[in-house]
Amino acid sequence: MSAGGSASARGEKAAAKLVEMCSVRVGTALFGVPIPHILEIVGSARPQPVPLAPAFVGGLVHYRGDVLTTVSLRRLLELPPREGTQDLLVLESAGGCFGLLVDSVGEVLSVSPSDYEPNPCTMDERRRALFGGAYKLKSGLLAMLDPERLDPMRLSGSRAA
Amino acid sequence: MDELTREFLIESQEGLDRMERCLTDLEGRPQDAGLLAEIFRAVHTIKGTTGFLGFKRLEKLAHAGENLLGVLRDGKLTADGPTITGLLQLLDGLRAILKTIEDEDKEGEGEDAGLIGRLEELQGAKPDAAAGTVEQPVLAKAGARRAARRSARPRREVSAPLEALVAPVAAAESAPGSARSQGEPAAAPIAGTKPEVEGVAARPRAEGAGLGTGSAAESTLRVDVALLNRMMNLVGELVLTRNQVLQATASDPNMTLLSRRLDMVTADLRESVMKARMQPVSNIFSKMPRMVRDLSQSLGRRVRLEMEGQETELDKSLLEAIKDPLIHAVRNAMDHGIEPPDVRLAAGKEPEGNLKLRASQEGSHVVIEICDDGAGIAVDKIRRKAIERGLITVQRAAQQTDRELLQLIFLPGFSTASAVTTVSGRGVGMDVVRTNVERIGGKVEIESRAGKGTTLRLRIPLTLAIIPALIVRSVEQSFALPQGALSELVHIAADQAATAIEWMEGAPLYRLRGKLLPLVFLDRLLMPGREAATSAGRESFIAVLDADGRHFGLVVDGLADPEEVVVKPLSAVLKEIGLYSGATVLGSADLALILDPGAIAQRAGVTASAEEETGNAVEGEEKGGTGKGREYLLVEIAGRPVAVPLGVVLRIEQLPVSRIEWIGCRPVLHFGGQLLPVEDSGGVLESAQGDAGAQIIVVVCRESDRQVGIAVSHVLDVAAGGELFQAGSGQRTEGVTLLKQRVTGLVDLGGVAPLPVAEKGAGEAGAIAEAAR
Repeated sequence: MSAGGSASARGEKAAAKLVEMCSVRVGTALFGVPIPHILEIVGSARPQPVPLAPAFVGGLVHYRGDVLTTVSLRRLLELPPREGTQDLLVLESAGGCFGLLVDSVGEVLSVSPSDYEPNPCTMDERRRALFGGAYKLKSGLLAMLDPERLDPMRLSGSRAA
Repeated sequence: MDELTREFLIESQEGLDRMERCLTDLEGRPQDAGLLAEIFRAVHTIKGTTGFLGFKRLEKLAHAGENLLGVLRDGKLTADGPTITGLLQLLDGLRAILKTIEDEDKEGEGEDAGLIGRLEELQGAKPDAAAGTVEQPVLAKAGARRAARRSARPRREVSAPLEALVAPVAAAESAPGSARSQGEPAAAPIAGTKPEVEGVAARPRAEGAGLGTGSAAESTLRVDVALLNRMMNLVGELVLTRNQVLQATASDPNMTLLSRRLDMVTADLRESVMKARMQPVSNIFSKMPRMVRDLSQSLGRRVRLEMEGQETELDKSLLEAIKDPLIHAVRNAMDHGIEPPDVRLAAGKEPEGNLKLRASQEGSHVVIEICDDGAGIAVDKIRRKAIERGLITVQRAAQQTDRELLQLIFLPGFSTASAVTTVSGRGVGMDVVRTNVERIGGKVEIESRAGKGTTLRLRIPLTLAIIPALIVRSVEQSFALPQGALSELVHIAADQAATAIEWMEGAPLYRLRGKLLPLVFLDRLLMPGREAATSAGRESFIAVLDADGRHFGLVVDGLADPEEVVVKPLSAVLKEIGLYSGATVLGSADLALILDPGAIAQRAGVTASAEEETGNAVEGEEKGGTGKGREYLLVEIAGRPVAVPLGVVLRIEQLPVSRIEWIGCRPVLHFGGQLLPVEDSGGVLESAQGDAGAQIIVVVCRESDRQVGIAVSHVLDVAAGGELFQAGSGQRTEGVTLLKQRVTGLVDLGGVAPLPVAEKGAGEAGAIAEAAR
């Protein structure tokens, strides 16, 4: 898990304190998840569906003796379901651990805090609740997922409200 | 806080708990020297140790108490009501100081002069008597009053605290030891306390009283509960892994031996860890005599408390969880159940009410009964109040049976209505009792007869972490259904499906032994949008469930083996759905949600059906009559009705007689590697032997750590049985019960000859025993 290619491409900025982001892909979009919040990345998870659960719940997975509730990023973004397996990130938030299901996990990107900008005010409010802002990369924007905001308890609260 | 102080606190708390039990006993047997010696020892140990640790205030109070107790112990004063009240106050005072020490690490500034004065006053009747106290030889000439005020420690005391600190576990010994060395007569009574079993609240931890218990005390160890919890979790993990290994290696003969060994060790380990967490219910029962005493004084009742089965053990966390409900229930029974003496006399009862606490183990549950012979609950008044409060409609109320109406007192609406509690007998916070008990997977049942009394029954699972469950399939998923709620299973073959399930205005029903059973389709419940492929033409199973007094059938697509599942908590989001009580990992490594039968019934709107009520009412009547009815499965063997205790019945198998195989002349049944001995005393098998296509019925029962099958001709019914007593001697008879007013023999399960087993507990027997738990 060394710094990705994009970091060396921006060699002149390397002096600034870099933040490591794990890139995840859902559909065609790329998102970043701050590495310190990730406990583990599990490949090709098979979550057990939970009937009657809120739509964003991707199901249950067994993780080190505990049963974790997962959040499906695909469903959260209201994308159509996809065939095949998904990758699972085990995230830690203030409320405990939960899983995040994504199509695939990509490389680790080092980004500089100076490239950070908060969410644009024109963004859809429900989307804004999920993201913690974006990093301006040469290749495009990397929207940052905030594990605190993805916590299933919080999601169910905001949906109900 | 340093280790010594912590030790001292724990020791002292235990000593005071013992003292409390003894004090309430002492009221009934004021002359009992053993009790007095025990109380004396508790206070003496505190006093001794406290001086060493420098808690002056505590020492002073304990000293005053000790003086009074010395006089009592020497028989110069009799322990009358006021004295015991005074001693109880001393107990509370000591506890309060200990609490302060625990919280603040110092004994606080409180003033105990009043209490000390009162203790001296009690003793003051014969002030010189105190001089005889053995533990005060130095003060032999001093009056008790001076002794109490004197702050200097008598020299004799120094050795006692030292012993207590050097070997804290043996602290209890040092006191009687020193007493004996001085020729103290108390030694004999101490030894004599053991055989005294007729006592109402016979000391559950008699070890503290005996003289020869040093070895027992030395071989015990205090363990942090958090560590035990962690061990339990790890064992849970091990059970999961074992299940997976067993499934993965089932077909590999090389692994069979190893996996069986793993199976056995896991089972033993699990049992040991569970045992380590077990505590006798006496730990909470012992609080009751004091509470009953205090309450009967403040409420003006006369109550005789009887306690039974105190040695019954329960997981520590569960014991904690039922403490409050139990206290609540006892308070209710005293407050609303048992009438004041004059009312009782007017009603033709003894002025002294009887309150009985009974604990016993029934299968995988511990049953705690709180039984009073008070006024009972007038169902009419409940009905009226419930209608008034809008809890049920007039129409519904008219349809409901007494038993169902009684359940209404568990509704939250009833708890706040003081008017109801005064007329109906009970109701204060009964919803809290039920919620607390159900939270730990238990059940609350109530039976009451107006004018005769009320019995509240708490049914508590032995452990929380691992429950036996049946794995069912629906919507292409596995779900775990707790066995506790399951009463029977009905198989509906594909060709019967169209006719077996009947519909009445959109409500599916099944005729179970002639009675209509409301059905809930699990797939429709879980996938409301999806109109399930009609059940017609598809094989299905009905799991007949009993939850919260609701009786219904849950229709599922398939059944898998019963498994012991390790309950994993669900995240709050999924708990909110309300249908699942947890999740678990199956032997196949798949996850399964654990269904909550009570919640399903509620969601589907199930209440007890009208047909069922009549049956229950009769049963209730029978139960009420005997006070302790047990349920039996009534079967017919060779033309004679025979009863099997329902608690031990695991399942009923109907199978072709060709499935029975023979080892020599012994019939056995073979289920996927497990062998079941079948008892055929009635010749049911032999008579069916000629006809190869004949179906026979085998009742599979649990008998200690194995399973046995009983071949029967018919399964007749389930009914409550009554006890029978031998004429003349009045002793309870064994092996028979009164069922439907007929004397019925019980099947002797223990008499079924065991199968030859390779090694005790190994192999099949181990697996069977495991499955049975």
